[in-house]
Amino acid sequence: MTEPVISVRAVSKRYANGVEALNKVALEIHAGEVVCVVGPSGSGKSTLLRVLNGLEEVSAGEVRVDGIPLDTHKRSINRLRARVGMVFQQFNLFPHFSVLENLMLAPQRVLGESAGIVQARALALLEKVGLSDKVNARPSQLSGGQQQRVAIARALAMQPEVMLFDEPTSALDPEKTGEVLDVMKQLAAEGMTMLVATHEMGFARVVAHRMLFMEHGRIAHEDAPVAFFDAPRNERLKQFLNQVL
Amino acid sequence: MNRWLWHGVYAAVLLVVGWAIYKASERVDYTWRWQRIPQYIVSTEGDEIRAPYDGFVALAGDGKSLTLNELNGSRSETFTQFDTALSGDGDLVFQNDVLARKSGLRAGPLTVGLWVTLEISALALMLALILGLIAGLGRVSHNPAARHLATTYVEVIRGTPLLVQIFIFYFFIGTVLQLSAFAAGVAALAVFTGAYVAEIIRAGIEAVPRGQMEAARSLGLGRAQAMRFVVLPQALKKSLPPLAGQSISLIKDSSLVSVMALTDLTKAGREVVSSTFSPFEVWFTVAAMYLLLTGGLSIFVRRLEKRMAHE
Repeated sequence: MTEPVISVRAVSKRYANGVEALNKVALEIHAGEVVCVVGPSGSGKSTLLRVLNGLEEVSAGEVRVDGIPLDTHKRSINRLRARVGMVFQQFNLFPHFSVLENLMLAPQRVLGESAGIVQARALALLEKVGLSDKVNARPSQLSGGQQQRVAIARALAMQPEVMLFDEPTSALDPEKTGEVLDVMKQLAAEGMTMLVATHEMGFARVVAHRMLFMEHGRIAHEDAPVAFFDAPRNERLKQFLNQVL
Repeated sequence: MNRWLWHGVYAAVLLVVGWAIYKASERVDYTWRWQRIPQYIVSTEGDEIRAPYDGFVALAGDGKSLTLNELNGSRSETFTQFDTALSGDGDLVFQNDVLARKSGLRAGPLTVGLWVTLEISALALMLALILGLIAGLGRVSHNPAARHLATTYVEVIRGTPLLVQIFIFYFFIGTVLQLSAFAAGVAALAVFTGAYVAEIIRAGIEAVPRGQMEAARSLGLGRAQAMRFVVLPQALKKSLPPLAGQSISLIKDSSLVSVMALTDLTKAGREVVSSTFSPFEVWFTVAAMYLLLTGGLSIFVRRLEKRMAHE
């Protein structure tokens, strides 16, 4: 059995004000897997993703990426972060850079790659997400869906091994979610390891290999998509699905 | 129609204020002598060439060049940049005697003072920006030493009057480091303004959305790299209008260096008052000259803020 790309063991996260965002979460994600996490607000989906990225420190337990423990105090965290790509709900594009510059910044500065190689890769990625004509545009000139696609391309420019998506379409108008979800479906089809926190049930059903239901900081239920949606074996999950579907 | 009414009200209020000032001056029997002021702004007397040492004057035949030969030495100097020779061939002159005059316009004491104020303010601003950037970054640093040092600097400077700081710089630090009055003045203003610049920059950094830093870190950028490429450029852009406002304050604060042996615009004003005994006219003129400096900057700030609001 190959090393899981992501390994979470008994991870708990407690904030200073006493709120327990994660409660002994355990999870393994293997290469090529697409795992979707659903759950009510405050269930810990975002916190889980942020912990996997090193944006939040764990209070207990261990997170490993490619078998290497994620220790936020060490300098090597930056190299590890380069292997984990993250797409945020609020896009977080750099407004003072053009789209192309947004993509080129990290590969040049973190990986030290030459401008020529980085630019070629950036242009290819922009073509892949369907935004070749926006190469020199500023983020403020793009629609929400376009910005999120740029954000996905930006994360992919670092050639990560796993992509984390924190409710990528929640801030978009309904008619714009399609263009982003299409890009994500294509990524999944290409074999990218993905962990997606989302409310888009239709998307999850089609794309996921595994579904997770989180509540109160724990993984309350885990199943394959078809069983998860059509024959939920967990009461709370049943109630949740009734509310959202 | 209504707008012109209110413009008229504005003009009327100004006229009333002007009239009130005039009436008040009548009360104290003040004689207005505005005609004496212009010569202190621009003098038509021209430049005087004075003898650098004692010596004999040799005037060339065409009267266009004048040579001074040192009396008890071998130095000599030739002057050609003048219009009227005021000493004759063979004259014995002493140090500082007027040899010749160059006619033309020359800056009067007030204009010279204005220039000194501008010099001090510009130099102090440049130093303050550097100091403030470092301190501002220190304020948000994760490093406890940097953070505590920066906070102490900001709190101490912002909590004490500028005048007191100038005295400390002039009498204590200036003496210890043997600084000229000019250097001490620039240093005091730079340190003072730097503390305010630090807070402006800190506010600018904190105004950048957290998501920016998070996105940068998620891509693998280190904290320093994220600051340098993502956060600081945005923070500095946000800081421009308040920074410009701070430079306007700096120009006004610079008038306090007049307590040292520095002839800035305010000190020049005091000197002209003692020459003319016309304090009202002189001080209004000095105020107008400060307004000239700050007014220009104000217009620039307003245009800058408008442009940034559109982005």
